[in-house]
Amino acid sequence: MSARVAVVVFPGTNSEDETLRALLAVGLDAELVHWSAPGKLARFEAFVLPGGFAYEDRIRAGAVAAHDAVMDPVIEAAEAGKFVLGICNGAQILAEAGLVPGTGPLRRPSAAFAPNDTGHFRSVHVHVALNVDPSRVPILAGIEAGAVIPAWASHGDGRLVAPPDELERLRRDGHVAFVYCERDGTHVAAPNGSALDAAALVNRAGNVLAIMPHPERDGWTFQHVDGSRGAGSRDSAAMLAPSGGITLFEHFARAVRAPYRSAA
Amino acid sequence: MTAVVDDAVTAGRRLGVALSDDELRRIAEHLGRVPTPTEMFAFDAQWSEHCSYKSSREHLSKLPTEGPTVLLGVGEDAGIVRLGEWNGERYGIVVAHESHNHPSQVVPFEGAATGIGGIVRDVLCMGAEVIGIADPLRFGRLENEHCRYVAQQVVDGIAAYGNAIGVPNVGGDVFFDESFDDNVLVNVVALGLVKEKHIIHSRAPKDSAGWDIVLVGKATDRSGFGGASFSSLMLDEEDAEQNKGAVQVPDPFLKNVIMRASYAVFAELRANGIDAGFKDLGAGGLAGCSGELCAAGGMGAEVELDLVSTAQRDLPPEVIAIGETQERLCWIVPPSFTPLLLEIYNDVFSLPRIARGAGAAVIGKVTCSGRYVAKHRGQTVMDVDLPFLTGGVRYSRGYVLPEPSVPESPEMRQGRAQAAFSAGEGPVRLFSWLRRVLSHRDVASRRTIYERYDGVVRGCTAIPPGYADAGVLVPIPGAPLAVALGLGGNPRYGKLDAAHAAELAVVEAVANVTAVGATPAGLTDCLNFGDPTVPEQMGAFVAAVEGLSRAARALGVPFVSGNVSLYNRSSSGNHVAPSPIVACVGTIADVSRTATGAFKRPGSAIMMLGRFEAAFGGSVFAEISGLDTRALPAIDYAYFARCCEVIREAYDRGLLLAARDISDGGMLACIAEMALTSRHESCDAFVGAHLEQIETAMDPAAQDAAWFAEFPGFVCEVEDKDAFARVAESCGVTARLCGRTIAEPVLISHERREAVDLGDLQRSWTEPLRDFYGSTA
Repeated sequence: MSARVAVVVFPGTNSEDETLRALLAVGLDAELVHWSAPGKLARFEAFVLPGGFAYEDRIRAGAVAAHDAVMDPVIEAAEAGKFVLGICNGAQILAEAGLVPGTGPLRRPSAAFAPNDTGHFRSVHVHVALNVDPSRVPILAGIEAGAVIPAWASHGDGRLVAPPDELERLRRDGHVAFVYCERDGTHVAAPNGSALDAAALVNRAGNVLAIMPHPERDGWTFQHVDGSRGAGSRDSAAMLAPSGGITLFEHFARAVRAPYRSAA
Repeated sequence: MTAVVDDAVTAGRRLGVALSDDELRRIAEHLGRVPTPTEMFAFDAQWSEHCSYKSSREHLSKLPTEGPTVLLGVGEDAGIVRLGEWNGERYGIVVAHESHNHPSQVVPFEGAATGIGGIVRDVLCMGAEVIGIADPLRFGRLENEHCRYVAQQVVDGIAAYGNAIGVPNVGGDVFFDESFDDNVLVNVVALGLVKEKHIIHSRAPKDSAGWDIVLVGKATDRSGFGGASFSSLMLDEEDAEQNKGAVQVPDPFLKNVIMRASYAVFAELRANGIDAGFKDLGAGGLAGCSGELCAAGGMGAEVELDLVSTAQRDLPPEVIAIGETQERLCWIVPPSFTPLLLEIYNDVFSLPRIARGAGAAVIGKVTCSGRYVAKHRGQTVMDVDLPFLTGGVRYSRGYVLPEPSVPESPEMRQGRAQAAFSAGEGPVRLFSWLRRVLSHRDVASRRTIYERYDGVVRGCTAIPPGYADAGVLVPIPGAPLAVALGLGGNPRYGKLDAAHAAELAVVEAVANVTAVGATPAGLTDCLNFGDPTVPEQMGAFVAAVEGLSRAARALGVPFVSGNVSLYNRSSSGNHVAPSPIVACVGTIADVSRTATGAFKRPGSAIMMLGRFEAAFGGSVFAEISGLDTRALPAIDYAYFARCCEVIREAYDRGLLLAARDISDGGMLACIAEMALTSRHESCDAFVGAHLEQIETAMDPAAQDAAWFAEFPGFVCEVEDKDAFARVAESCGVTARLCGRTIAEPVLISHERREAVDLGDLQRSWTEPLRDFYGSTA
């Protein structure tokens, strides 16, 4: 029997359906769990926090959601070593909950995703490259060093901020899981002014990953806008097949299916 | 009776309603008494231009509205076209089109945001999932400080609302013109997906007497009171502060949750096989919405205003009944279903916990009386005959049709166009004109605007905004069926000839969806005009409707929904350019037969389809060169339709790498855009182009100007030039070679007379709006 994954929906979440589709496409047994039913969460082995604007991003993006009762079982699970993936708003919630980078106390974030340096919400197609040794990210089992994943950066608050010494620690201790890059992996400046050009953070144990760009929005061939769709292909099966950003979910699925072993 | 009638007029004037004296008299005569304030405001809203189309209806009936692609035609909140079949189920695409012009001029952020809020509800209440939105925008000159403010705030409002509710923006359009300095146009189109058997109608079902009327959403407040009649007035500077109160307050956060809860309700209705009525609260508020629901089903209503959740204590009954507080919807359901309905909104999606006073509550019952009765604190504050209230009034306004434009001979046009070309400043070069055309605000890259919008949420986007002439969605996960949305409506044409501009708007919208391989399935229009009491303005409106009708009939594409926005005139007497704005929904049977509009690779042929014509009226080239001409391109519908056929056939055979329609700026701007957008799709290197001498009917001496003529047609990138030419020939069309794609990042003119670096052109193309909208890339 495959592992059960909860996609946690907050009031204001808007990417739950496509995130669920990506998880189902890689063979996981996933379902949506609404904020009004936190009691249900105990039954799950892994958790995904999808994108959106939970609680309207009041105070700061993800701040209110991080204090919602529905996060109690998620935090408990993360601390017990279960896998937790946050995408976009989900990543912001994980940072506000203190689960990533996880260098400070819970719900007292040591780093956060602040408003973009453009001053606006921005939606652009990007690529991100794995920036840490694969052993640092057991949540992405089997991912290769330097792996490049296509995605859409679609957010208003994706700029990593932290005090200088904390940023240095994040860099040194391998918390910056992904950085923005060209399709060939060449490093590029973040589209939002993010410190260290960080696109994703991982906690110390490597079981909690917070990624700002959306791989599920470039996870099927028909979604590719970087030329890899194949013009004039006339192959509808190939066009509707998962590819590109789906690889992140494939590695997540491998991790979730394997019995968890602490990376520490 | 005379006393009653006179008292009614006096009362109406005292309350400040927009109803005319004649209209007040008719109401008083019908009721046999002075209307209560609640009734007064109910008639004010229902009989407004916005709700009743009182000036426009007799003309709108000329539009073709039937055809095999129509699943649900004009009449409800939105129309529905057929998408196709998948897994034994027939699917439809819901399409709605609205304007939010007046609110956006007064408070642009909220006005634009609530425009999306309203149109999304129109689609939702058909039982559909909302899958896409697009905004046609018409701004004033950016040199004007207030116009700059409006242009910024409107985009911010669209972004704030659309992004939060999680509906992708599939690409709007933007034009700038001085006629919009005092009256911005903010139109909005929304699309939904629904199974044919799951369509919910905006009417009380048959035999629904005794059913519950349930109000869902935000607590009612004072915001948006008088919105319907406000949008049918002219804007006066002095009333600006007062008018702000007529604009609703958007709450996309709450809407996000209401949408999702409503989807859950749809699922339960289907599971239980229950019929219901559903409609959004827009103009006319609760009484307007529940009244229209019951009137459409031939029923009546009895409503207790005390049961309506209000945000403030002691709201007067007319505000509760007529106020246009956003984020509200109305259900008519059998009492047996009511507990489940309330549980979904109030417990599972916990609306009362999310926003103060929000939720779902029974506020009345359907009756078979045919009357609308509202009670407040034991008093009857409204008791009117529903058909009389919702039937509205009709006017046959006098109008003066525009003068037909003076014909100019082709020779004269060509000669003058070439003279304008040669009279350019500095060295007279093709590419120096191109640079000026590309940096014109109506041609410049819209990317900094599109980037503010989420075009890919829901994970169904195949072609996001800016990548092609139309956005493309794949709305059913796993199915190859795709939907394209294209727009048209050029104010520069509108100023010259409203009827011809309307025809060209249809052609442009159809061309845009065709460029991505779609077959047009339905049209919608939003008709934005000046004051209909001015005969020339009404004449432009009448002429435009005739133009729309002519084009739609000629191309065989029906109108399935639409909207009219009149009184777009400022107190200084500035009417907007006649702006018939058209959206076309197209369907693609297989998403593997579509492409973006960017050049894909070096070594392909660049082919042109279309009947070239030296008509420069309203063109970007005419504007920047000072060429004084009023001749708009003639439209050969049969030939254009065959060109469209070539495009679809070429996609089907895998011959097309990219296609765009020739629009603002002409053929050379079109080719330049295909090159300028190529970089991201071809390994981060530009694909350039080497142009060939184009064969046109024009005098060879006038060839240069020909590159900037705007006429219906397409530019295509094809690998196999001969195969493409054969397809064209079989459709009775000549495909002309106009260049080849090259690996160098440059455009090179015929015989290598001149060349221009694409990086250089990129700056000319992106800077005008990038500098204004201020993104960093």
